[in-house]
Amino acid sequence: MSPSAVFRPITRRRALAALTGVLTTAALAACGLSSSATEEPADSDGPLVIGMSLPLTGPVADRSKPGLEGYQYWAEEVNAKGGLLGRQVELKVLDDGFDQETAVSGYNKLISQDKVDLLLGTFSSVLNLSVAPIAERYKYLYVEPSGGADEIFARNFHYLFFAQPATSEALPNEFLDQVAKMPAADRPKTVALVQQEDPVTKQTAAIFKEKLAALGVKTVHDSTYAPDTSNFDTIANSIKQAAPELVVSGAVAGDGIALIRAFQKVKFTPKMLYQSNSPTDPTFASSIGAANTEAIFTPLAYSAAAPYAGNSEFVAGYTKKFGAAPSEDAANSYSAGQILAAAVTAVGKLDQPAMADWLHKNTVNTIVGPLSWDAAGRSQGSLLLGQFQAGKLEIVSPAAAATVQKLVYSKPGWN
Amino acid sequence: MSVARLPRLLLAAGVLLVALVPLLTPNTYIQNMLILTFVLAILASGWNVMAGFTGYVSLGHAAFIGVGAYTGGILAAHWEVSPLLVAPLGGVAAALVAFVLGLVTRRTRGAAFVIVSFAMLELLGLITRNWTSLTNGSNGFLMPLPGWDLRFQNWPFYYALLFLLLLSVAMTAGIRRSKLGLGLMAIRDDEVKAEGIGVVTSVYKSIAFMASAVLIGVAGTVYGYYVSFLDTSAMFDISLSMEVVLAALIGGRGTVWGPVLGAFLLQPLTEVTNTTMGGAHAGAFRLVLFGGLIVVVTLLLPRGILPEAQDFLRRRRKTSPTGTRLADSAIPAAPSSPRLEALAGRGGDLLRIGNVSRRFGGVTALDEVSFGVPQGSITALIGPNGSGKTTLFNVVDGTYRAGAGGVEYGGRDISKVGRARRAFLGIGRTYQLPRLFDSLTVLENVAAATGEFRFSRLARSAVSGAEAARAAELLEFVGMGEYVAAKAKDLSYGQRKLVELAQILMLDPAIILLDEPAAGINPTLVKRLAALIRTLNNSGRTFVIVEHDMHFVMSLSDPVVALARGRVIAAGTPAEVCDDPAVLDAYLGDDFVLEADTIGSAR
Amino acid sequence: MTFLLQTLILGALVGGVYALMSSGFTLTFGVMRIINLAHPAMLVLSAYLTWWLWRRTGVDPLLAGVGICVIMYGVGWLLYRAVISRVQRIDPELTLVASFGVAVAAGGIMAFIWGTEVRTATPSYFNTSYEVGSLLIPRAQLFACAGALLLLGALYALLHGTFLGRGIRACATNRDGAALVGIDVDRMMAQTFAIGAATTGFGGAALSVLYQFVPDSHFVWIGRVLCVVILGGLGSFAGVGLGALVLGIGEALTASYFDVRWATAVPYVLIIAILVIRPQGLIRRRLRTDGALP
Repeated sequence: MSPSAVFRPITRRRALAALTGVLTTAALAACGLSSSATEEPADSDGPLVIGMSLPLTGPVADRSKPGLEGYQYWAEEVNAKGGLLGRQVELKVLDDGFDQETAVSGYNKLISQDKVDLLLGTFSSVLNLSVAPIAERYKYLYVEPSGGADEIFARNFHYLFFAQPATSEALPNEFLDQVAKMPAADRPKTVALVQQEDPVTKQTAAIFKEKLAALGVKTVHDSTYAPDTSNFDTIANSIKQAAPELVVSGAVAGDGIALIRAFQKVKFTPKMLYQSNSPTDPTFASSIGAANTEAIFTPLAYSAAAPYAGNSEFVAGYTKKFGAAPSEDAANSYSAGQILAAAVTAVGKLDQPAMADWLHKNTVNTIVGPLSWDAAGRSQGSLLLGQFQAGKLEIVSPAAAATVQKLVYSKPGWN
Repeated sequence: MSVARLPRLLLAAGVLLVALVPLLTPNTYIQNMLILTFVLAILASGWNVMAGFTGYVSLGHAAFIGVGAYTGGILAAHWEVSPLLVAPLGGVAAALVAFVLGLVTRRTRGAAFVIVSFAMLELLGLITRNWTSLTNGSNGFLMPLPGWDLRFQNWPFYYALLFLLLLSVAMTAGIRRSKLGLGLMAIRDDEVKAEGIGVVTSVYKSIAFMASAVLIGVAGTVYGYYVSFLDTSAMFDISLSMEVVLAALIGGRGTVWGPVLGAFLLQPLTEVTNTTMGGAHAGAFRLVLFGGLIVVVTLLLPRGILPEAQDFLRRRRKTSPTGTRLADSAIPAAPSSPRLEALAGRGGDLLRIGNVSRRFGGVTALDEVSFGVPQGSITALIGPNGSGKTTLFNVVDGTYRAGAGGVEYGGRDISKVGRARRAFLGIGRTYQLPRLFDSLTVLENVAAATGEFRFSRLARSAVSGAEAARAAELLEFVGMGEYVAAKAKDLSYGQRKLVELAQILMLDPAIILLDEPAAGINPTLVKRLAALIRTLNNSGRTFVIVEHDMHFVMSLSDPVVALARGRVIAAGTPAEVCDDPAVLDAYLGDDFVLEADTIGSAR
Repeated sequence: MTFLLQTLILGALVGGVYALMSSGFTLTFGVMRIINLAHPAMLVLSAYLTWWLWRRTGVDPLLAGVGICVIMYGVGWLLYRAVISRVQRIDPELTLVASFGVAVAAGGIMAFIWGTEVRTATPSYFNTSYEVGSLLIPRAQLFACAGALLLLGALYALLHGTFLGRGIRACATNRDGAALVGIDVDRMMAQTFAIGAATTGFGGAALSVLYQFVPDSHFVWIGRVLCVVILGGLGSFAGVGLGALVLGIGEALTASYFDVRWATAVPYVLIIAILVIRPQGLIRRRLRTDGALP
């Protein structure tokens, strides 16, 4: 018996593999060929399909839900007023579970397979960063409501537009202005910077550090924690040790709440506390104790009380439909829709390059204020600064949107 | 002839079809799906080399994609060239990581290795994320945007990955047919035993690990370029590692095309479910589907599609021989032995145990044991259970280091010599429970034993003509000549003993340590075994036999050494030792009588 | 000096929590040689049950946890019978993979039932601390540690002081021999697994108070539990305590004195270090593994 006969793999097995491989790819090819063969020409009376892939499940699901609702409300409102270009708007929504690869596949499918008429952006910097190049390649207008990290705009995409008033590099401005305006005696002397390992929070922390130093505020602690950190006791203790008067917490989601709870456990109250994202979470007050929110500052992109175009109608209508006031996520989506609609209406037809050109040259009035963009798609407005006063999140700055005139300068201790 | 050609033709047709897809349709959704499938298939194929062939299940293979992607991306940015040019360096980096993993886990096996691979994955992800100056950390690393015409879209990525996939399959097939592959499968079945028959496991494993990772690293760079943005959490993801495992399991680990088949089934399934399911609970449903699929596959299809199909088809063919009685024929002549010819005429002790001690925690297994084994003798080692006999064997063949004292072989101290090298020097050893490589055939088992190590030999075919002939000759000698094609796991206990002996003889040993060779076999086989041993001894081989069957051992051996509680209590001729009161007390019992005409007696 | 002491205390307390989470895992790993990656998912499941109960009835979460243990016992029994024992019979190496599948699917089921919003239980003591001089001892963590000690002690007593425990140890040492002396091995293995699962009742309740959680939270706990159990050595309860302390204090010291970003790397570094340098864990001695008959 020859040795190689004993050792050679059985030929039938390869046949099976080959057969399966062939059948699978044949089936796939058939799908691909058939769908591109039977594509319908753009039907000028049919619905206007707008495609998007959102992280409806996964780590940011609780913020995506209101985001989707904002889109849906906008679409319904548009349709009630006669639609866009005389056609009813239809949203085609896919779920990527906050996975980059899935988001990329989703948008590829929407563009190539489903041949949607328009696109709307997804949520979070991470996803937008990987999806924006696809839209750019296929020359689709891409308005995104959430994801202001500078890297997204570093590539100078022509078709990319941000729907919030400003990108993250402008985020610290309002608070810095307030600190600069404070009488020297009240101004904090020392600051602790603590932020999550995230492009936006790290960028803003760096800006804070530099500009606060220019205002004479010394940095006594600067640490960055991993996204999967769940225990903040030691970090809180280290910050307590440094005894800063101001704490700037670059939080992304639940980590901000966990950090404050840790401060409570180690019994440390900073004189001033500024925290991003977490304070606008609906569970913020109940998670740290309602009375403990007093005097906490947070940046916002949107205020329901701001007197911008269409805002009060939006708030009223949204509250009636969903039973609660719109959150920032819902509002950002709505304004993205507004921007898209403005471009489509102004150009008068589905000409993506013309729409992009128009947006670069014009200002759109949205519920987050009048928006205009630079060549890379960065919006040129300013974000809002909010502060909790007597249990309510008031807008302190800029003046155009402020709901109160005075700041609370000192944070009361925890209870 | 045409029947044998058919599967090859079908396979070629399939590959051709896949290669033509981008030319047949501009649909980027399909292309994207196939690109991701290629990546998963390359991953699964590489994983198969480490886990399917070598038996080291890794949960960390996703790390090689990340390492390749970041290495390629960083170098491409630094040198300002296209990532496709530096992709091979991504492969080098991944191979280096795999090599370090192999070094670090030299002593860890099984569950411990799985856990270490998981820890390595997470740690590499963390290092990549925290090393912001190099990788841009959590901000993500931007790859350059492709500069070619939109008409060609994804073609470079598509064809590069398809090429890598075919290369990976070719490499896997080559390994499987080679001596390296045979050694790896031996390691998978029984690593300790493999070392003992001359497979230098550290070298084999290093090569396997590097082979497992290198093409994945290259694919990583290409993939990173394709997604144009590197994010540490996506690149070092435990879920991707699990997908790889699932793909290989579905198709059949240990086969060449199985992992590829699994990838081609799993990835499109994932894609389709991701992009067609909508609604608020879609993600939850997807998780249940993915998790459920893992459970179902491990419960119902643990070996995978290809092996199951193979078995199903094989049941229709004729079965291999089993159950034939061992012929009561004359013992053939002893096989030739170049080593013995060289050693001939040397007198004195071939093996000398010098004051060897060995402790295990509080238990002293061997306590200053000293004796010599004269060349050409059959020395018996007797004693009650727990007296240290097997431990002594383990010290001689290198499984254990002696705590104190040394072992001399052929006049030189081999205390520091490794196990595989001791096999090369001519020390062969069998086990109380015969250890064979169950997934291999009898012939492959015997041919796996090698008397020397040469790198060039690794690439050649698993069992060469000369090796097969010699193995067949040895099997004929022990009486298992008709079973060359039988699977080792189908053999009976006695048959396994004989095959194990043939395996040892393949090493051309000068000294053979037999651990209870007569235990558990019928009297006819005992007689035959005694005759085989005597024939081999007459041609110059030295034996050390541990036995409890006094008649068997006393009829064969001349020097007898008695051990009790780790110490030598008597040594001498059979008659002397059997009269020694210490031996009678500790072991034989007062009423023991050594009979004159014992079974198979030579006199 | 106070800072160092406070750091050590915080680290030790976190270690106590880790020990609580890992106690059941070491039972299945050490005694049955099963790596059950669904263990952290069971912790999260019991956290959800505790939270839900606390929301509906206001009962103290830690007390509710004791009751939830009974439910988790049942869950463990079911899991063993339906999946684990079957995979063990087919191919023990794949048990780990199958248990991961169960964990992923469980995450999906929890997301379906309770949604993906961040949850946490906030009884009165969730953010308060005892003061001892200038040192602070967070209350909730202290309660969790006390629970850990009780639980580890109870498991040890069970294993070494009861008839059931003897049977479990017999099955672990020599399965066939145990069957020969009349022990229903299958039932015993199921009971052991179920006991290991039951401990997640209290562990999950502690989790719901000490941390915020979502269905996916179980992933971050896999590394920590593995680290604790491997540091401690197979099946040693004292080892679990010691391993958990080492991990907790190691994380705290890394965060306070080195760099916060590397604190989450500590479990993985320790796993690799231990498995390479001293595979039997910090406490155990090496056992005979040469394949000779016992």
